[in-house]
Amino acid sequence: MRAVGMILAGGNSYRMKELSNKRAIAAMPIAGSFRSIDFALSSMTNSGIRKVAVLTQYNSRSLNEHLSSSKWWDFGRKQGGLFVFPPTVTADNSFWYRGTADALYQNLDFLKNCHEPYVVIASGDGVYKLDFGKVLEYHIAKKADITVVCKQLPPGEDVSRFGVLKMNENCRIEQFEEKPMATDANTISCGIYVVRRRQLIELIEKSAEEGRFDFVRDILIRYKGVKKIYGYKIDSYWSNIASVESYYRTNMDFLKKEVRDYFFREYPEVHSKVDDLPPAKYNPGSEVKNSLISAGSIINGAVENSIIFKNVFVGENCVIKNSIVESDVYLGDNVHLENCIVESRDTIRANTYYNGDDGIKIVIESDERYVL
Amino acid sequence: MLLSIIILTGGRGDSVIKKEMIAMLLAGGQGSRLGVLTAKVAKPAVTFGGKYRIIDFPLSNCINSGVDTVGVLTQYQPLRLNTHIGIGIPWDLDRNEGGVTVLPPYEKVGKAEWYSGTANAIYQNLAYMESFHPDYVLILSGDHIYKMDYQVMLDFHKSHNADVSLAVMPVPAQDASRFGIVVTDGQGKVREFQEKPEHPKSNLASMGIYIFSWPVLRDALIALADQEGCDFGKHVIPYCFNNGKKICAYEFSGYWKDVGTLGSYWEANMELIDIVPEFNLYEEFWKIYTKNDIIPPQYISEDAKIYRCLIGDGTEVYGDVSNSVIGSGVMIGKGARIHDSIVMSGSRIEDGAVLDKAIVAENSVIGKNAVVGCGEEAPNREKPDIYRYGLAVVGDDTVIPEGVRIGRNTAACGNTVPEDYPDGQLASGEILDKVGASG
Repeated sequence: MRAVGMILAGGNSYRMKELSNKRAIAAMPIAGSFRSIDFALSSMTNSGIRKVAVLTQYNSRSLNEHLSSSKWWDFGRKQGGLFVFPPTVTADNSFWYRGTADALYQNLDFLKNCHEPYVVIASGDGVYKLDFGKVLEYHIAKKADITVVCKQLPPGEDVSRFGVLKMNENCRIEQFEEKPMATDANTISCGIYVVRRRQLIELIEKSAEEGRFDFVRDILIRYKGVKKIYGYKIDSYWSNIASVESYYRTNMDFLKKEVRDYFFREYPEVHSKVDDLPPAKYNPGSEVKNSLISAGSIINGAVENSIIFKNVFVGENCVIKNSIVESDVYLGDNVHLENCIVESRDTIRANTYYNGDDGIKIVIESDERYVL
Repeated sequence: MLLSIIILTGGRGDSVIKKEMIAMLLAGGQGSRLGVLTAKVAKPAVTFGGKYRIIDFPLSNCINSGVDTVGVLTQYQPLRLNTHIGIGIPWDLDRNEGGVTVLPPYEKVGKAEWYSGTANAIYQNLAYMESFHPDYVLILSGDHIYKMDYQVMLDFHKSHNADVSLAVMPVPAQDASRFGIVVTDGQGKVREFQEKPEHPKSNLASMGIYIFSWPVLRDALIALADQEGCDFGKHVIPYCFNNGKKICAYEFSGYWKDVGTLGSYWEANMELIDIVPEFNLYEEFWKIYTKNDIIPPQYISEDAKIYRCLIGDGTEVYGDVSNSVIGSGVMIGKGARIHDSIVMSGSRIEDGAVLDKAIVAENSVIGKNAVVGCGEEAPNREKPDIYRYGLAVVGDDTVIPEGVRIGRNTAACGNTVPEDYPDGQLASGEILDKVGASG
């Protein structure tokens, strides 16, 4: 694969509420045993990309731990590899990443020293599988300057947190609005771009000179009349998790057989860091229905329509419904949860009741475990 | 002295690899008492406890004990073992120096021989051991389930000034005649050996785990070089004993299980399901590592009923499962009922199939409404010593056709078709072997 990968994983979003107090969005746990960035990393390695840089900034401890070894995604190679680039102070820069384009600009040396002719830019908050080889073929066939991967959402879906675009019959992008309050278009940008490396360096340098730091606003939108920017439509599963509602919904999507089959059983597979955990254990009293249960968990109670992440202990007579329980959570006896997201490493005392009612309640209880 | 230094440094500049203790793990045995389970894989590669393989336990013990150099001796059906071990990544045994090395038998000038016995296998790899300049060599076998800190045993070996230490553990008196029995002087020094004695003089059984001081092992192996089928229990230990070496017995009191028979294998799996099992896999401090091929969580459907089970990653359950150990990537169809059984990774139990006291090995398919394990028990006609305990055993990569009934104390392996089942059944005590491998 003649491309280098850049994953923009520095972001935070107020839409994630308390969930992002702990970690960058790219490190959000997904579907029981993955993290959000696994999908971008796996798509890249499965497409034959050998060199990937992850640009981190916001609350990256958890993400760094996840990326502590490149071997899980097969990036531990002499040629290429997995690089994590947080912002650093240099002789001529003392800023944080001031935007997506600035993040690329601050790592321009890396891009300049690459020999791959193309760059695949992706965000760390999408759940999808994508063959970047096909996108690159399309990019070359269209003689595009930039190719934007996009997806048509069903009519009526809220698109106000996405880049929304309109293409002509040749798929050239004619209109591009960033997070519009109201629009009649429903094709959105997936935040995945393919661009020739030299072209990218030129655009980024020019923007930096002009004090412009955002890839979408200052490059895609600003240049769309000058440069040939094309859209590459995908029909396969794609979901952005950067809000509590979409995070919850995306996880719940994995209770559908077709989604599970697509991600878990169809080739190529999604890779992730391996935790050495024993198989899940179901003790007398467990009653599990329509749920995903991850390794290392011990179930003593009732679980329904829920996602239980790794190493979770569910006490006796618990009732867990329509909820997501993140990793390393201890639920005491008789805990009742409905429509909740329980933050990782929580300890929920026995006899606790939480109900998200119509919304989704984020439960954060960091009681020390030994107290119980 | 100077001369020896020059020899030691050969080719590596000034640095010499030096490991205090290295481990040699015997993993070449067939394990014929596991019947069709070892038709295609060596015993150490047989799965255990859902997602593990038996060899994971000694390998994890090694790395948890700080032993980072392990030679794994393979011979019988090594493919799955080799793929499992790879370069040792799951156990952190991918090292610049040492790490895990798979040691198959190899051809030498003028002769080519298999490993004819446990000690012969080690003898043929003297050069491997020598390259690490060890002070001690730990001999392990790949067929036991246990957690042991070999460093503690080494401390014992050192503090007793032993030449050879063997790990022993008390066994019930009625079982003692199945083991090598050790009689000590009460201070740890061994006074007498009895190999599978009719009238055991003690209840301390050898666990097949030895620490040798390196010169003692080397000299014994060289002296016994021509011994046919040279074996540790039969030849090396008696040789050392008879030559006045100090042999000590290190008494181990934790969980240790030989899973060499179908009965003990099934039982050890079932013990894991207890609420607080004697052998606990959920402890943080002594983790058991394995190669995780499958990462996704398991899915339990609306119609499924799960009661007292261990279930591996990526498995999808649509039927009823109770008192069972299910591996990774297994598919259990609607209306299937699984009770008191073991299903290994990658197998598919189709809709309506019933398993009762059955063991289904890897990547097998049990057809719709087939019943494995039914009817009255009858002793196995051909191999009553292997296929007993009322178990129905299905080998690796086996297909059981729709609707057939398989009795107890049976074995089936290979791509079986309905014609293989007179009256649609395999009666209790029968073997159906389509690959010529029932042990």
